[in-house]
Amino acid sequence: MAVRHLEVEVRREPGGAVLDLRGEINGFAEEALDTAYAEAERDNPETILLNFEEVDYINSTGIALIVGLLARARAAKRRLVAYGLSDHYVEIFNITRLSDFVSVFPDEESALSGAA
Amino acid sequence: MTAPRSGARRTLAEVSVPSEPGNERRAMEKVAGAVEGLGLPAPTLERLKTAVAEATMNAMEHGNHYRAELPVVIEVSASDAELFVKITDEGSGPPAFDSEIPDLEAKLEGVQTPRGWGLFLIKSMVDEMNVTGDEHHHTVELILHLDDRAEGGK
Repeated sequence: MAVRHLEVEVRREPGGAVLDLRGEINGFAEEALDTAYAEAERDNPETILLNFEEVDYINSTGIALIVGLLARARAAKRRLVAYGLSDHYVEIFNITRLSDFVSVFPDEESALSGAA
Repeated sequence: MTAPRSGARRTLAEVSVPSEPGNERRAMEKVAGAVEGLGLPAPTLERLKTAVAEATMNAMEHGNHYRAELPVVIEVSASDAELFVKITDEGSGPPAFDSEIPDLEAKLEGVQTPRGWGLFLIKSMVDEMNVTGDEHHHTVELILHLDDRAEGGK
């Protein structure tokens, strides 16, 4: 099985900047995530939303990268929101306590409403 | 009281993957294929896959130092009551895991490194985890209690 390197696109919505994530969040994803997050921060949005709808694999290194994004968001007093996680990764967000600090929504509509 | 667990183990698969970054996904998909006939509930299968991936990644990184010529060998077996997945690398001594319990607040404050989730995830995903090692190998054994699944267990 070939690694699906992460691709990230950034778009602006009224509720915040959205990172559309596609692929795997693992050790290979660091540069793509960092670059996209920096791009999302450029307009100083109150909220950055992570769209996991097309992410099919997150490993422990990927969790560490998300922790890094959360630390950056908190340092800038920005809110980090996640949506589109599978039930399994919602469970992992719960047991790692990421969901205590990142608001988790099922889809973009509820995430943007929640972010507003 | 826990019911006694008995029954002969039958081997479901023995596979190996080269120690190259990303190959933990190959390992987890091979294990998922090997246990297909057990009819594990989908959430249990997802947890097993995560545990296998994390243990394989640890074996490739810390045991085999990502030397592609060194394989990680995965043996899948089952009894009536339990599923066993043994993940063996070619390191020596006890398997190296980050022993620090991850604390998200400490990580956010920079007191702990953001990494160090592997062992925590493995232990959270399976019922038991045993680690053994000798001069030539490390082995991590993951165990699922199959009879708990029907009763809504983990």
